[in-house]
Amino acid sequence: MLKRILRTSAVVAVAATAGLTASAALAAKVAVITPYLAQPGTQFYVEAFQGVAAEKGWDVNVIDTQGDVAAVISRIEDMVTQNVDAIVINVDPAQVEAGLQVAADAGIPVFGMDAGANPLLVTNVTSNGYQMAAETSSYVADRIEGKGNVVMFIFDAFPPVQVRGVIARAVFGNYPDITILDQVTPDVSDGGIADSRAKMEAILAANPEPGSIAAVWAAWDQPALGALQAIEDAGRSDEGIVITGIDANPQARDEIAKGGNFEASVAQDFHGIGAATAEAVARVLGGDTIKQRVTYVPTKLITVANATE
Amino acid sequence: MRALPILRRFGTLIGFALIVAFLWWRLPDTFMTARNWLNITQQLSMLTVVAAGMTVVMVMNDFDLSVGSMASLAGIVAAMLFSLGYPIWAAVGVALLAGLAGGLFNGVLVGVIGILPFVATLATMTMFSGAAFIVSGGKTISGRVIPEAFGNFARQGLEIGPVTVPNLSMVAVAVVALVWVLLEQTTFGRRLYAIGGNLEAAHLSGVPVRRFKLIAFSLTGLSAALAGLLYASRVASANPTQGSGLMLNAIAAVFLGMTMSEEGEPRVLATVLGVLILGVLDNGLTQMNVDSYVRQILVGSIILVAVSVSALSRSRRS
Repeated sequence: MLKRILRTSAVVAVAATAGLTASAALAAKVAVITPYLAQPGTQFYVEAFQGVAAEKGWDVNVIDTQGDVAAVISRIEDMVTQNVDAIVINVDPAQVEAGLQVAADAGIPVFGMDAGANPLLVTNVTSNGYQMAAETSSYVADRIEGKGNVVMFIFDAFPPVQVRGVIARAVFGNYPDITILDQVTPDVSDGGIADSRAKMEAILAANPEPGSIAAVWAAWDQPALGALQAIEDAGRSDEGIVITGIDANPQARDEIAKGGNFEASVAQDFHGIGAATAEAVARVLGGDTIKQRVTYVPTKLITVANATE
Repeated sequence: MRALPILRRFGTLIGFALIVAFLWWRLPDTFMTARNWLNITQQLSMLTVVAAGMTVVMVMNDFDLSVGSMASLAGIVAAMLFSLGYPIWAAVGVALLAGLAGGLFNGVLVGVIGILPFVATLATMTMFSGAAFIVSGGKTISGRVIPEAFGNFARQGLEIGPVTVPNLSMVAVAVVALVWVLLEQTTFGRRLYAIGGNLEAAHLSGVPVRRFKLIAFSLTGLSAALAGLLYASRVASANPTQGSGLMLNAIAAVFLGMTMSEEGEPRVLATVLGVLILGVLDNGLTQMNVDSYVRQILVGSIILVAVSVSALSRSRRS
């Protein structure tokens, strides 16, 4: 009797395992590998990616190596061993090229989710830095009606931020009556707010007449916040100095919502990036080829009208 | 031999065999292949080097918390020298010297001044980490400044017939072999075990304890720096925190290994088995789609089970 039960359950177990294996073989296997899952932006990407993946019925394996970049290479190797259908990474591709090469040799497509462009990636899905800077610099130019002195906060040492400065200079340069008063590169070792504030205090002191500074354009939010603090502390918040940032971090959104000098920033669409990455994977799994090495997801201008959304 | 001593000495080994058997069963096509095992050895090369170095100080009942920071620092030092245009041999040489010097400093603190290793190496861990941040300016050094040959080292290997044995794996094996010879085949090694067994007795019998601690910590620092260079080569870049994950895993590997020796002292080949347990679990459970966080809990539990079995069977015996 006992033997028979054992035998039956063994058969059932084998059948169940076989059934599981069969159903798993039908669903596309996709691995998402990142060292940064604990960061809010990354979580948004991954959630949106999983949302689309669930609709498509994919079997998604999200792997967090908790800051360990070499482990990303190891996990890519493991996923290649498992012969997954596609791999998505959210890490600087130049640092995991050893793994990307293994995947390329095995013919497994790898996608970047806000990772950086690399010839070994099918495509990298991200926001367009040129576009974000165009949004805020044209906002500034429009608000000051094409004339006045503008202070720029830039950071050319970091390529994704450098491109923003290029566009803002071009936009301001296109208005004959806009003068770029100063281009400041703040010290970012303490996060960027404190030093930007100190630099802005010096600029305010050098330009004491009301109206002598029409706007502050910052390539990201921290210098904009620092400039705002300097302007408020100097008692010059009623001069109508327009401040813009980029990234729309929570602190920036709070300030924009107050309706003060900090008027606009640009939000990256993290959900959009995750969903667009999944769509790119779907296209390739469906047999398409993707020509764009970088796939841009539209960004959104944040003003007092939508800062609290 | 009765059952209990067998369980005590070989429990961890049996556990490892069970893990391998389980993964082989669940991953019949992909786990037990030459390719996957070569991958595993490559993935584990950095941890193996750090853990082998850690074994040297743990033989004396000391340990070194600064190895992860030293690994990061060594990678950063080499990368900075690359960016200044120094050739690979010079940058690698200076980075290894930094490891040796940092280890010697630990040795002075523990062996000469007499600070508890936990406190001394906790302090140097923060110091080395701070130094890595200062040297790098907090940035990741990558891209064109890293010589292609340096990054390629981690991607290439020795072709033996149909398989390619990765360079990283060969370095790890060489380090283990050196540490094995040092600990098991030399008077130096036997005296280190004597210090670990009874510091006072070793001292009274004329073992120059101070000098031994200086040498042992220097070797641990050197191996940490080497591991940092292997890491930097694998990711073709250097980041001031990239080695930080190595320290706890190295200590865990040595502890796992210690459950297998008769007197509970660290043996370098047992350490390698400890490293393999950690790495095989990472590799196999990833392939089985087990959640990364569940994997961490499992790894911690396995360490606890191994050490408990060893401790229980020993207390039962006495």
